Amino acid sequence: MLRGEVSANAPQQTQATTVFAFQFADGVLMAGDRRATAGNVIVTDRVDKVIEIDATSLLAIAGVPATAFEMARVLQTSFEYFRRSQLQPLSLPAKVRALARLLRDNLPMTMQGVGVVVPLFAGLDQSVSPPKAQVYFYDPLGAQFQAVGYAASGSGSVTIRSIVSFQEHYGTPRPSEMKLPEAVRFALRLLMVAAEFDSATGGINPATETFATVKVLRPGGVETISDAQQKEFLSARQPGGTC
Amino acid sequence: MIEEPYRWLEAMGNRRDYVREQLKSGTPVLGTSLQEGILLLGVGSGQSKVFELFDRHAMAGLGHPADLEKIRQAAIDAAHMESFTRAPEDVSLRRLVSFGLSGQLKSNFEQIFSAPFLIELLLAELGSSPKEDLFFRLHFDGSFQSQNGGIVVCASQNDQEQAAQQWLQQATHGKMNRRDAADLLLQAWWCLSRQKSFDGSLPAESERQKGWRKATEDKIVEIGWLSRGASRQAKYDSLTLDSLKL
Repeated sequence: MLRGEVSANAPQQTQATTVFAFQFADGVLMAGDRRATAGNVIVTDRVDKVIEIDATSLLAIAGVPATAFEMARVLQTSFEYFRRSQLQPLSLPAKVRALARLLRDNLPMTMQGVGVVVPLFAGLDQSVSPPKAQVYFYDPLGAQFQAVGYAASGSGSVTIRSIVSFQEHYGTPRPSEMKLPEAVRFALRLLMVAAEFDSATGGINPATETFATVKVLRPGGVETISDAQQKEFLSARQPGGTC
Repeated sequence: MIEEPYRWLEAMGNRRDYVREQLKSGTPVLGTSLQEGILLLGVGSGQSKVFELFDRHAMAGLGHPADLEKIRQAAIDAAHMESFTRAPEDVSLRRLVSFGLSGQLKSNFEQIFSAPFLIELLLAELGSSPKEDLFFRLHFDGSFQSQNGGIVVCASQNDQEQAAQQWLQQATHGKMNRRDAADLLLQAWWCLSRQKSFDGSLPAESERQKGWRKATEDKIVEIGWLSRGASRQAKYDSLTLDSLKL
């Protein structure tokens, strides 16, 4: 077997995704499609890839769910354990590094090509007043980077990054100026477009009540945007602009 | 000294008296199950008395802060270990107390050459309805009583504790909102900490309210709230008197 080649005996991996996060007027919006694929097989269209780690942290997973969900579970337990036992929340830099460490620990699986995870992380920076939501992205080896306005991961991320970049530079309103309904509508449309170009991205379909996982992180904490809210925001009349 | 049964009993008796004497100055903590959740209340002057343990679990206690801390850490460790190994839904107060904390406390109490834990504890588990809420009253020697819903008082003196609990059960009839419940628990706290008798000679409501307000001026009122309606996994929140408009 050549170096870098995946073993022929390795199981078909469940993977592929489009997850992204961007700054909007009130904080950070993080969204993801709900499809999991193994090769050209759609395994399910009901995966939640944006996970609430604690009251002030969100994780979006892209890559192999078996590893990614376990990472989310480790983070959930360790963040909450720290907060309850030490009677203070873990700082944002510590949370960001905790995920980086998990990715580094997963290096052997990553190098074998059977457990790659490329997540996004959003957390509240409590060192400023009022607290500000920040977005971080990672490479598969665990390097962490702070995103200025947005970040995306997964097979549909190129499409997402192109559109968000365009909107940020030339659109009205810019994503960072959008209110919640606009931001959610923009996120859902991003997923619809990503799904057009990437068969591994599930997209959304209001006709079949298939929506995305959308969560927002504001100074007050995490809020989940329900399917009903997504439907309402998507169908609401927009005042103008290009989003 | 402990080879002879009589000396063993005597040593245990002395130890029990010692702990009770040490706990005398501790102020009570109280808990009540309401329609919207469970409210735990304690009044301290620096050290915390009300704590979050896990998603649906909280603890309030009186006694030596270092001992409270040891038990709190043990409970948090056990709950998180269970949650990570199995699932958060598998963390139950009954197992936590009867298989974990109670045994540790009993062992410690019976080791007569080591210092006993100076604590009295009240632990709560949020259920899907008030009837399914669970309280455990855990004593320094590892013995415990459990109760579904209602009101539980945790004080250093057993007779006072029982009297206060009975009075509260009658007084809370119909008072089911958080603010009124907190007010009533603070009245009971004041009566207990001022050694008032819970018979007919109990001061009037206005005096009790005035009493707790004055008594807590230089203290910290800690209110833990396990919310049944919270959408988050962690149901615990800390409330203040201001947030309850008290």
